[in-house]
Amino acid sequence: MSGSVWWRIGWRNVWRNRRRTAITVGALALGFVSSTIMIGLSEGIVAQMIENGTDLLTGQIQIHQEGFKPERSLYTTVGGREGTDLEQLLALVRRQPGVRGVAPRVYAGGLVSSGEETSAGIFMGLQPDLERDVSRILEALEDGTMPDPGVREVLLGAEMAEKLGVSVGDEVVLVAPAADGSMGNDVYQVAGIFRTGAAELDNSYTLLLLETLQSLIAMQPDRVHEVAVAVTEVWAGPDVAASLEEQIRRAGIQVRVEAWTDFRSDLAEYAQLAASFNWVIVLIVFIMAIFGVANTMLMATWERRREFAVVRALGSPSTGVIRTVVFETIVLGIVSLGLGAVVVVPLVAWWSTAPPDLSWMVGDFTMAGSLVRANLRVEPSLEGPLISAVGLLITVFLAGLYPAVRSALQRPADILAGAD
Amino acid sequence: MGGFWHSTRRAPVPALAVILAVSPGQVSAQIPETPREIVDYVDRLLRGESSSGRIAMEIETENWSRRLQLEVWSRGRDYSIIRVLSPRSEAGTATLMVEDQVWNYLPRADRTIKIPPSLMMGAWMGSHFTNDDLVKESQLIEDYDIFLGYEGDRDGVEVWEFHLTPKPEAAVVWDRIEYQVRKSDMMPTWALYFDEDGEVARTMTFSEYEMMGGRLVPAVMSIVPTDKPGESTTVIYEDVDFDVELPDDFFSLRNLRSGR
Repeated sequence: MSGSVWWRIGWRNVWRNRRRTAITVGALALGFVSSTIMIGLSEGIVAQMIENGTDLLTGQIQIHQEGFKPERSLYTTVGGREGTDLEQLLALVRRQPGVRGVAPRVYAGGLVSSGEETSAGIFMGLQPDLERDVSRILEALEDGTMPDPGVREVLLGAEMAEKLGVSVGDEVVLVAPAADGSMGNDVYQVAGIFRTGAAELDNSYTLLLLETLQSLIAMQPDRVHEVAVAVTEVWAGPDVAASLEEQIRRAGIQVRVEAWTDFRSDLAEYAQLAASFNWVIVLIVFIMAIFGVANTMLMATWERRREFAVVRALGSPSTGVIRTVVFETIVLGIVSLGLGAVVVVPLVAWWSTAPPDLSWMVGDFTMAGSLVRANLRVEPSLEGPLISAVGLLITVFLAGLYPAVRSALQRPADILAGAD
Repeated sequence: MGGFWHSTRRAPVPALAVILAVSPGQVSAQIPETPREIVDYVDRLLRGESSSGRIAMEIETENWSRRLQLEVWSRGRDYSIIRVLSPRSEAGTATLMVEDQVWNYLPRADRTIKIPPSLMMGAWMGSHFTNDDLVKESQLIEDYDIFLGYEGDRDGVEVWEFHLTPKPEAAVVWDRIEYQVRKSDMMPTWALYFDEDGEVARTMTFSEYEMMGGRLVPAVMSIVPTDKPGESTTVIYEDVDFDVELPDDFFSLRNLRSGR
């Protein structure tokens, strides 16, 4: 008998008891929907952790000159000793599909001093209009205003400002070894104070306009240490990084392009752990479903024990009975999958665009060094529904197998004699 | 991101402080004989009750090279001032050392800042000396056990080579120091500083022995870090006076700012 006949038999059998089928299909579809949503939520939390962990300062991709890390030498600027046409490089990066923002940065290490107090710090030069597309560091401004171009102004981390005893409007001295070997130093006015919640930034970072820092450390205007990139989709980070590296190298600049999976490997590892946990979700949901379906099928086959006996008595092999039942459950599964898909698509679409904000309940919190906003966003992905579908089909197959084998093992003569 | 401070190996050794305070001081009339006495003699040869002088510091790095003209004063072990005379853009920049503390005066900002302990290992003015080098004066005979490792002819010159190993309780970073001294005039010729892996971390060489301020001193001292053989800092004495009169308030923050 050809395969399509078994499908047809399965399809017909499914609709013999409509109410029972509807309940079973409903239960399976619910299992599929909840498994998809739970995986989506878990991925949503992970994606948010990654976004929060990389949005604050690093961006999802960083471009450095080869050899910049780990020493972070003042002299290892993008483009090497000859430097590079910065505007052209930024434009090249910006053209890359999947890139949301590009920001150049200059770093220096030095001292911040006020009165008797002196503190070691990291000076970061940035372009505010570009930086806002990549990181949230400037949103953390707690007091004061952005530094103005052309004047010597800085933004201090809140903890450093506290340590130095300065507030907005006060003066601080910055000292840093400059690129020409001299000791760069000058007086700067505190334009603003930022508080990110990340202690490392709040107690050691000092932000300046790119050109202000370049002038302190005697560095030419088109020399930068880092180009930070934000991408539209965090998971695409490594792919975008790889193609960026290829393109920039083709333009003759020996850069190293890293995605967040490289410089925040802790986040990448956590994401991996969370992904393996998705299977656990599927397992739990469908282990519960498997007994319900098996029970239904046991009932359905029990009702039809005489029918099977007749079929067997007429010469059909026991595998025929097994097939009948298994195909019936698989059809049941496919129908459930269809119903589940109809429900899950609009649900995920809504949940991913308008996630319920739970921060009124738990507030924002920090996890693994990343600020997590407590909103329950479902991350739309193919993986969730796919592994849920696989889980569902395995479930119905296994749930059908036992009743099928049981039916096949009945002795037709006993059944027909009424000895059951 | 400590790398921005050209990281120089920790060095609580005579180095700059010794050289800046160059002075034979009270070189005893008694002729030193034991290794300990000879090292102590050489050690004190480079230090005095007080001194003042002008030196040039030539710094070579892979990224730039520069020459600083400096004026230095010192008294005893604990007090010294270094002031930059040129290049003009940095003239007036000055460093005051009192015991183990360091202050820098920055004329451009017209501010004095105290170097925090965490940055004592930072490079002084971009050189291969650390701030720590400035304040840790030589305590060779206090911190090290001293043995004669070699005595005899090296390239036609009769020398001693002393091996200095840290005493267990000494707070020093070197695994050991080897120090070569000429027999004829008891002038140091070189010193090797070994790190904890037993490798030479930096080499100091002395040369151009001249009479200055009435005493024979090595007028040129050069330091080369092993991991960057193309880099060096060379200190050249141009003029030194010993046992100069310096008032009590000379080594003060006020004097640091006023430029004498």
